[in-house]
Amino acid sequence: MPDDRPPRTDGGESALERETDRPDDDSDRSGDDLTDEPASASKRGASEFAGENLVIGYPSTDEPVIGDESVAVAPGEVTALVGPNGSGKSTLLKGLATQLALDDGSVLIDGEEVHELDTKALARKLGLLSQENVSPTSISVEELVEHGRYPHRGFFDALTDEDRRAVDRAISLAGVEPLRERPVGSLSGGQKQLVWIAMVLAQETDVLLLDEPTTFLDLHHQLEVMEIVQTLRDESDITVVLVLHDIDQAARYADYMVALEDGSIYARGPPEEVVTEALLADVFEIDARVEETARGPRIEPLRPRHDDEPEGQCGDPGADR
Amino acid sequence: MAGSQATGADVLTRRERWLGWVGGSLFTLCLGSLAVVLVGGLLQASFGSYSMTLAQTWRAVFNPDVIFNWYVWEAFLFGAELPEMGHDSLIVWHMRLPRVFVGILVGMNLAVSGAIFQAVTRNELASPFILGVSSGAGLMILLTLVVLPSVTIVVPFLVGTFVFNTSQLLPVLAALGGAAAFLVVYAIAWKNGTSPVRLVLAGVIVSTVFGSLQTAMFFFAEDIGIVQSAISWTTGSLTGTDWKEVRMILPWTVLSMGLALVSSRQLNVLLLGESTASSLGMNVEKVRFALSGVAVLAAAASIAAAGIVGFVGLIVPHMVRNIVGSDYRKLVIGCLFVGPALMVAADVGARLALSPVQIPVGIVTGLIGGPYFLYLMRTQDRMGEI
Repeated sequence: MPDDRPPRTDGGESALERETDRPDDDSDRSGDDLTDEPASASKRGASEFAGENLVIGYPSTDEPVIGDESVAVAPGEVTALVGPNGSGKSTLLKGLATQLALDDGSVLIDGEEVHELDTKALARKLGLLSQENVSPTSISVEELVEHGRYPHRGFFDALTDEDRRAVDRAISLAGVEPLRERPVGSLSGGQKQLVWIAMVLAQETDVLLLDEPTTFLDLHHQLEVMEIVQTLRDESDITVVLVLHDIDQAARYADYMVALEDGSIYARGPPEEVVTEALLADVFEIDARVEETARGPRIEPLRPRHDDEPEGQCGDPGADR
Repeated sequence: MAGSQATGADVLTRRERWLGWVGGSLFTLCLGSLAVVLVGGLLQASFGSYSMTLAQTWRAVFNPDVIFNWYVWEAFLFGAELPEMGHDSLIVWHMRLPRVFVGILVGMNLAVSGAIFQAVTRNELASPFILGVSSGAGLMILLTLVVLPSVTIVVPFLVGTFVFNTSQLLPVLAALGGAAAFLVVYAIAWKNGTSPVRLVLAGVIVSTVFGSLQTAMFFFAEDIGIVQSAISWTTGSLTGTDWKEVRMILPWTVLSMGLALVSSRQLNVLLLGESTASSLGMNVEKVRFALSGVAVLAAAASIAAAGIVGFVGLIVPHMVRNIVGSDYRKLVIGCLFVGPALMVAADVGARLALSPVQIPVGIVTGLIGGPYFLYLMRTQDRMGEI
């Protein structure tokens, strides 16, 4: 597939708004050449989606996981949240998806406060695929995808023709047509994930949030999932935000990346600005070599960094922690 | 197999065939259950202290003068004066069949209530009594029988007064006790919302405490008659049920069964888990409370008529799920038929096995339910989550 992503030299016009109150901003960090300008629509008709001054935590802990961060997502593009385990990337996604109550701040979709929307109205604009999904084993693929139409149906409504067309579109976009009548319980993990993606696609939302959609999948199904994401970006106005565990994958497929460390946003911008040896050392605590390719930066991990080790072991001038 | 060049029409006919097959298994299940109810009902109508031949019973049961007589049904369903009818018909329709009808209604209520609770808690081992309904009802039954055995309540009303004896109010009090226990469970489980696990735990807590109080009450019972009556209520019995019980629970049964049928899609979405359901735009907390309310209504209605009949609400949804799958649109319908079948069949055993002694039907359902679960445990590797 040819590299048909939008040009990545638009750092000055980035759709990612930078938070203003990081005390330890240092000027040589990657992504710092982003301006404070708010998101500018790069696709007409695509939804604006933003979180402002988000403070997100779990009811069981006192300290919030995400402390006062703002994210504005590029409309119609693919934004990847990356970060090490426990950095808060899934928490941020759940907060944006209103699955977690916000301690403070607000999530706006097309300028509307999501908490003020009716739950079904919100589910018509904002879709979320959680990391782990459960379903009865005997339900068929088609029936599961039909549940994606839930927010479009009233209490007594049967499936309309429009619903059926949406289900058909979602099934064909996710490439699960051959599985249509199989019971979900008989599918492999990778096939199940594609079916779940078909379900959120049937929801036909403006914004789609995917929480680690490729984790635990074999390579074939990882690529299938990312191909769907690519199709969504190229052929629709859907704004996609996804958490990716694999930073290489994020660099390859995302238009923008947001790197989190310890609940705060460390860097944001197009992949080639975010994925640097310095960031990998600081955020992911690895020594790695980053190679610029036509498909975006490629990462070759070398070794883990330990706090007590001398700095710059791989001779990386950027590793200045 | 149509393979990759399957056309739209092909897909449609294949889907229809598939639907037909599943619909077929549901249809067979319902038909089989109806047959069990019919045979059980005829057995119940034929045997008893006044014995009749099968032919006599058959004629009495299908006596057109009764079945197509509006005044008879008015008497049965609205409590009007019973018109004249033959001796056999009177025995069958007035003494023996009401018990079968109560069994049918109770079986429906318990099975559907159990099916709803299994979806709400996403656990196959949930029963109608998992959220404390049985313990609340049991405690109320004991309190009524032991502490207020013959208190007469006089309620002044617009014209004249209503005079109630507590024993007459027992069914209503039991149902109210069950519903109150459910609300206590919900209040205990609530902390920024509920979760299935917290609800079940709160149910266990309330059941334990109420169960202890209930046992303590037995201690203060004055004579063996009260104890026996209490036991027959707390294990569930259809002995002595009448058209009065049918009249009492029929409206609640129709209401809760209707609500369960129209909510089957909500139940299906709940089965996808809380986070998926809420990201699909369901207000999970509200729907969960409303559905639990419907299930408690059904369970309370069954308690009011027959006491606390165990196991029916647990095993019937299981049996149906094994046959038609976990789609609640089919499961609820299946439960509407299989619940009555189990209940009526068990009551045949309860009434006729040790004749002339009648045992509480709850004992029979327990004797059927235990081995059935043993069988499931041996044959299924994975039990628990739906």
